[in-house]
Amino acid sequence: MSPTINVQQLSKTYQVPEREGGFGAAVRSFFKRKYKDVKAVQQVDFKIEQGEIVGFLGPNGAGKTTTLKMLSGLLHPTGGKAEVLGFTPWELKPEYLRVMTLVMGQRNRLSWDIPAADSFLLNQAIYRIPDDEYKQTYKELDELLELEPLMKKPVRNLSLGERMKCEIAAGLLHRPKVLFLDEPTIGLDITGQARIREFLREYNKRTGATILLTSHYMADVTALCERIIIIHHGNLKYDGGINDLSRRIAPFKLIGVRLAEPNSHDLSKYGEPVQNEEDAEKQYIQVKAEDVTRVTSKLLADLPVHDITIADPPIEDVIEQAFNQ
Amino acid sequence: MHTLRLLSAFFKVNVQMALAYRADTVVNILLNLMWLGWELLSLNIIFNNTETLGGWGIGELIALLGVFRLVNTMMIALIWPNTEKFNASIRDGSMDYTILQPVNSMFLVTFSRITVWRIWDLVLAVVLMVVGINMSGDSITALQILTFILLATTGTLVIYSLWIVLIAMTFWFTKFDNNVTILQALLDAGRYPATVYPVWLRVIVTFIIPIAVATTIPLQALRGDLTLASTLLFASIGFISFGIASQIWKAGLKRYSGASS
Repeated sequence: MSPTINVQQLSKTYQVPEREGGFGAAVRSFFKRKYKDVKAVQQVDFKIEQGEIVGFLGPNGAGKTTTLKMLSGLLHPTGGKAEVLGFTPWELKPEYLRVMTLVMGQRNRLSWDIPAADSFLLNQAIYRIPDDEYKQTYKELDELLELEPLMKKPVRNLSLGERMKCEIAAGLLHRPKVLFLDEPTIGLDITGQARIREFLREYNKRTGATILLTSHYMADVTALCERIIIIHHGNLKYDGGINDLSRRIAPFKLIGVRLAEPNSHDLSKYGEPVQNEEDAEKQYIQVKAEDVTRVTSKLLADLPVHDITIADPPIEDVIEQAFNQ
Repeated sequence: MHTLRLLSAFFKVNVQMALAYRADTVVNILLNLMWLGWELLSLNIIFNNTETLGGWGIGELIALLGVFRLVNTMMIALIWPNTEKFNASIRDGSMDYTILQPVNSMFLVTFSRITVWRIWDLVLAVVLMVVGINMSGDSITALQILTFILLATTGTLVIYSLWIVLIAMTFWFTKFDNNVTILQALLDAGRYPATVYPVWLRVIVTFIIPIAVATTIPLQALRGDLTLASTLLFASIGFISFGIASQIWKAGLKRYSGASS
């Protein structure tokens, strides 16, 4: 069977007008505009099978959103091919639009002044969802997202987290087989993020939908995705399991130590000190994985240690290292 | 069938939005009642004081006013609010969601906002046309009425197409907020029969800017002044301009998807 999402040599180059600062430059640019080519995505290849949840990572401006927009059909690529469920997305065939969804955390599709329930009914008409099917889907979404209490208030009176739940639900009423989620948890607090995450996992389990999501929050990715794709400066840097990645590029462990008198000793002779804001009373050092046991016993022998933790370094750092290679 | 369902869904949502703010709703109802009174009053003045204008009888003038109101209602109830929404959706990026809905995007852009308060305007327009036609005398045949309706429709299509072209320009220029001001300025010239204007202006209004097509031409059809050839010509102008506008819209969407980030 062919993969649900098949991307081959996909590229996108923008032309961006460019000028120096200053008044004279502004006038000159009015008459003779200079353009600069920005290569947002360069010959990216990947395949995603039905039912996978794949995390799409990269720093700002790496080309994540551009790729998602091409896959959903909003942008024409400047090169390469992409197929989703057998469709070429940018042909924008209604048959395709009815089986996919794009949810962008920073954009609203719900009308501000009326309760989300009313906007949902409009979506029902747009996607031609039969009444019984609509009721069934709504019931399931309500079960997972606890929508009912939110349905009676105008959208403008909802909190950010509540609104995001409604936005996601609005994007799923037509039971799409493929979900493109661009920063679905942006701006949400920890509980809000966790709830959306839990929902996506459960939704994927129930419906077998394929999910490709971008996020700034590593927790989203580590909690949801077994596979991640990293893109940087428009190039594919990594495609594989999340555990492999940390093992391959960061065979380090993070040791956190709380001393009897917090921060009383310099730990730099045991390992490389690392800034970590999680716990102000703790000091962190990064050591090679194979040295962990040796360093830990030395620390315990040398110093008045109250508490010691050993953990994998945060994935932000892992990825940061990958990019700077 | 599906189109009707969609239209009714849009209408419902717009009624819901119109009712969202109570004070606003009350003011709107009062304001529109006042407008209606004013309109009826000024019609009364025209009724009582005018016999002919530029060779047109009173009945024909009233029917013309009806057609004009129909076009004007389209402007106020659909084109203005949807332009506002369109311009905003380009700015805030919600245009992306419009494009990804499995419905013709031109249709969505046209009907997603409806100023529901102007429904009475539609009724008034139809009443004026019926009254006007009745007053024009018994000589009017069913065929004349039919060509009148046909040409009023195709004329409206011309204005609609012009609007589509104007807002589609936004896809190329990114910022083109006064797109509808231009259209309104053109449209106001169509308020009076084209024969009131000097020849050169009539040429501009009738041919170069085909606005009069929507008001004066249908009236001529009603009077039986149009030959079969010109009727067909004017009707086909409507369909052709709609065709061209759709193509420009498609090209604009393609441009949007090529340039936006």
